[in-house]
Amino acid sequence: MGQSEAVNAPTDDVGGEGEEFDPIGTLTLIGIYFAILVLAWVYIYFVEFLGRDLVVVG
Amino acid sequence: MSAAIESEPTFVDKFPDEARVVRAAFMSSFFALLLGAIFGIIQTLHRTDVARIIPSTDYYTVLTAHGVFMVISFTIFFLVGLFTWALTRSLDRPLLNIKITWTWYGLMAAGMTLTGISILAGFVDSIDMSADVLYTFYAPLQAHPLFYAGLTVFIVGTWIAGADWFRTFLAWRSEHPDERIPLQTFMVLTTMTMWYIASSAVAASVLLFLLPWSLGFIDQVNPTLTRTLFWFFGHPVVYFWLMPAYMLWYTVLPKIAGGRLFSDPLARVVFVLFVLLSTPVGIHHQYLDPGIAEGFKFISMTNTMFLLLPSLLTAFTVVASVEYGARQRGGTGLLGWLTNLPWRKPEFTGMMLAGLMFAAGGFSGMVNAGMNINYLIHNTLWVPGHFHLTVGTAVALTMMAGTYWIWPQISNKPIFSSQIGLFQVVLWFIGMALMSNAMHAQGLLGVPRRTAEPEYSGFDYPTMFGGFEELNIQIAIGGTLLFVSTILFLGNLALTMGNPTVSGLAEPLPSPVSGAEDAPKVLDNLRLWVGIALTLVVLAYALPIAAIINRGGLLGPGVGTYPVWVAPLFDALADAATPLLAAITDASGSLLEVVR
Amino acid sequence: MHIHAYEKLWLALSIVLILALIGTVTYGAVGPGVAMVADSQSTVDPGALDEDDRFSEPRVEQVGENEYEAYVVAYQFGFEPTPIVVPANSTVTLHITSRDVIHGFGVAGTSANAMAVPGEVSEITVETDEPTEYGIVCNEYCGAGHHVMEGKINVVSQSEFEDRGGDSE
Repeated sequence: MGQSEAVNAPTDDVGGEGEEFDPIGTLTLIGIYFAILVLAWVYIYFVEFLGRDLVVVG
Repeated sequence: MSAAIESEPTFVDKFPDEARVVRAAFMSSFFALLLGAIFGIIQTLHRTDVARIIPSTDYYTVLTAHGVFMVISFTIFFLVGLFTWALTRSLDRPLLNIKITWTWYGLMAAGMTLTGISILAGFVDSIDMSADVLYTFYAPLQAHPLFYAGLTVFIVGTWIAGADWFRTFLAWRSEHPDERIPLQTFMVLTTMTMWYIASSAVAASVLLFLLPWSLGFIDQVNPTLTRTLFWFFGHPVVYFWLMPAYMLWYTVLPKIAGGRLFSDPLARVVFVLFVLLSTPVGIHHQYLDPGIAEGFKFISMTNTMFLLLPSLLTAFTVVASVEYGARQRGGTGLLGWLTNLPWRKPEFTGMMLAGLMFAAGGFSGMVNAGMNINYLIHNTLWVPGHFHLTVGTAVALTMMAGTYWIWPQISNKPIFSSQIGLFQVVLWFIGMALMSNAMHAQGLLGVPRRTAEPEYSGFDYPTMFGGFEELNIQIAIGGTLLFVSTILFLGNLALTMGNPTVSGLAEPLPSPVSGAEDAPKVLDNLRLWVGIALTLVVLAYALPIAAIINRGGLLGPGVGTYPVWVAPLFDALADAATPLLAAITDASGSLLEVVR
Repeated sequence: MHIHAYEKLWLALSIVLILALIGTVTYGAVGPGVAMVADSQSTVDPGALDEDDRFSEPRVEQVGENEYEAYVVAYQFGFEPTPIVVPANSTVTLHITSRDVIHGFGVAGTSANAMAVPGEVSEITVETDEPTEYGIVCNEYCGAGHHVMEGKINVVSQSEFEDRGGDSE
């Protein structure tokens, strides 16, 4: 195909496989990322922030 | 086969006039990158006390130059180049009038030159001009009028650029009344919509208050008001930097990985979410400001947290597109496909490492956005640690990596050395990992950002994750690697320009797995999204701004004027301040002894 | 519009994450009672601080049993009073303003942090613990001498505080 986006053009030979594609690897990677985010957040909020001196209470 | 590829025209073959504009914009961008990198290395080594080649009072000139050249000139010139390429390419038609195109490019270049002169004059004592107000230019610190005037001309240039692209799109629309907006054009139009909304506030702040004030037409301004108007612009501008990177991740990275974009509709949803949510969030930069009610801060936080959504969706869609590519290349297993990717290509590895760092930056951004946890890190080195992951890597490294792919398309010249390119992007990643990590850690120690000398006479920082000095060494090493990486990038590109032109470099972009025909038509209804975006902006800002004006007045509660461009006076003051402060500390110390 | 099942799952997880973040911050506000700098204090004329009841004399004063108020003025390039002397195991409300440009008031290594904006007053309340000393840094760029701008909070024992006349002047 040319340089244009070819929005309504029929998909080429790999198009059919696309419907079958399950990004299980992506789900795994992003699940690991999610777990890291949650743990890091709990640590920084409850240990680093609320655990410090001079928390602003008013 | 090879004959077929050779007959495929590149962008510069099809649109030579537009390609010239794109190259000019990129050259401006990379010139700013060079200047920004030079000021970056001076700053890193000064702050960490490794090498101080300038007096500490000049540090703030260096800091202003690094900030403005990197986040205004480097990023935005790259953006206008990339968007000109993307719009022309995806509409497959030339811009309406190339003279208008050169006009906005000329305005942007002229404006940035004026602003640059006003900043760099700060180094020369004999010139009575300075703009040492940093990138945020908070009043009542006052820059030379040329600084504000230059920024205005630059922003007007970007507005005309947007108009140029919208007009070209409308011309295409009349030729193709029933087609969906091509994805890259959709990205350009939504990003510019956001930019018009966001930059209106900084334009108002500069034209109504700061410029007249610097020229002496008005005596004072309301510092909270101009600060709020800055952040009205100052947060969405980070998405203005980021959207070119997103465009490359969505439309170019899947191609390099050997696959195709996973979902066109979700890409559109993401850009629409940015139009809606980018602006009504700026108050999260002012969580610790007096004069703004807590409720307004909470609303801003809620909007900010929902702004995580488009980025989290992007992470999935982009990684899935890469996985699709890897599986097309024979990749198997849960994670084994990661080895089937073109890691030797700098354009691929650069973008992937940029995305990885953006994921880390997502975490520190969550902390910045958390309303009360902001007390922990506000104005500490944590914050520049964060944005060197986002704009400093997710954006900057993607732009450099993208250049390795796009430059042959706009010049018919192959990249001089892929090996140097690969080494350069990896070096950037290592340098930034060291520097940014240590900056975050120092921020948690309470080390402030934006200071020439972060060590103080009256107290020592606590030790956690390594002491202050060790972290300084990490910052200095990291900063040095980043500087070397930048020079390698620019050198590689300069040598590329010396290459002879060849044919057969065309790299057409494939259509998505799930295409535009699968996207609801309403996504293309820009009027609707603009309407909702403006409503959200009014909801988030009308009451806070009314309250700020009500409290302090339109022109401030008797605040003085502190021009940084009366430079000799300030240097004298600073020189006097150091011994004076020491004397006061000594005196109060001995007073304490006496009292005891 | 077709969205892959995995991506729907990720979308749901993302929304859960966002709600959890907002929830944590809300918990911090209502549980430990973390309050934001807000608009509780009236504005002040930065050019005439000497005529203002609050800031004519930067000081620490007792306002109740174990309750103290501190009035702090930031200026190019220092803080008044310095040091800010407060008793241990007490509740201290700091009122912070600036008489010239925007400054920051960051107590290094702690969660106490606020902006000092000319014309406005930041109010933050903290609870002191054992006697100790904290450094205060100006964490907002305020001019060529920004890096020399520092202050101190000395938390002293109750008896030492009383010996000093209950005031940091």
